[in-house]
Amino acid sequence: MKIMTCPINGPRPITEFAYGGEVRPMPDPNTVDDATWAAYIYNRNSIPGIKQEWWCHVPSNTWFIAERNTLTDEILRTYLYAEAQEGVA
Amino acid sequence: MNTPLRLSPIDAALRSLQGHWGEVNGMPTLMHRPRAAHWPVGIADLSSLTRFGVKGANAAAWLSQQGIPVPQRPNTWRSLPPGGLVARLGLTEFLIEDGLSSNVAPQLAARCQTPPARVYPVLRQDLALALVGDRTQELLRQTCSVNFQAVDVSQHPVVLTSMIGVTVTIIPTEMAGQLVYRLWCDGTFGTYFWKTLIEMATELGGGAIGVEQVPFNTASERGV
Repeated sequence: MKIMTCPINGPRPITEFAYGGEVRPMPDPNTVDDATWAAYIYNRNSIPGIKQEWWCHVPSNTWFIAERNTLTDEILRTYLYAEAQEGVA
Repeated sequence: MNTPLRLSPIDAALRSLQGHWGEVNGMPTLMHRPRAAHWPVGIADLSSLTRFGVKGANAAAWLSQQGIPVPQRPNTWRSLPPGGLVARLGLTEFLIEDGLSSNVAPQLAARCQTPPARVYPVLRQDLALALVGDRTQELLRQTCSVNFQAVDVSQHPVVLTSMIGVTVTIIPTEMAGQLVYRLWCDGTFGTYFWKTLIEMATELGGGAIGVEQVPFNTASERGV
């Protein structure tokens, strides 16, 4: 059974989680040019590697970020968005 | 015959059962079933207990202002002095459930009619169950991927997981020296959830029991 660790609820089977897409900073829609905005809306990075992704522990509706190697499907770490913001600040 | 104020999400499934019925908080409730006293797995419907949900960044502070003992850690619970419990579901959501004779939840719901900023009442129309008996963990092993044998009951844990495909909240606790699992799920899954659990409990030599057969003992444990 594949296990993912929710930062709040601990290790759980992967069936309890839903994928929410890669973490991508949104460009400012008021100042961005059309090409950059279109790229943000329609394009996704398909090159495998270590990525930050949104995941949700569905039974508790806990959204968090997982660092996952999309080449090997290895989950390196998981953390709450607030923790990531603290690291930035 | 009076029309009941409330119905359990599994009222239709319960009605076919032989037993003594009563009314709790306006809801017809199966109180007692004959010959079910020492079943290895007994499942009681506690949906008739009143409950209240609240969430939001200021929910913990608001509950404290109302005199509710707020669990400090996520996914833990505390007893309410008049009976019942308050469970912290994750970081900022709370479930308050009364015991058989307390009425904290309706009072909180009334006070939350015009909530302050970042406090949001949550409608709770759950199927609420209690699982008791020596073989309850066998039933949980068949239906859920959390290892409850490794869960430390003394830490007052709240487990949010899925069981037979349904999102559930589970509190393992001790009542009168017996291990009891309190369980809540969305009422719309009630009939499927109840029938599936009862089928498994029957295979283990148990079945449905009444509310009076849940080992509530002291006032502080009522509803927990």
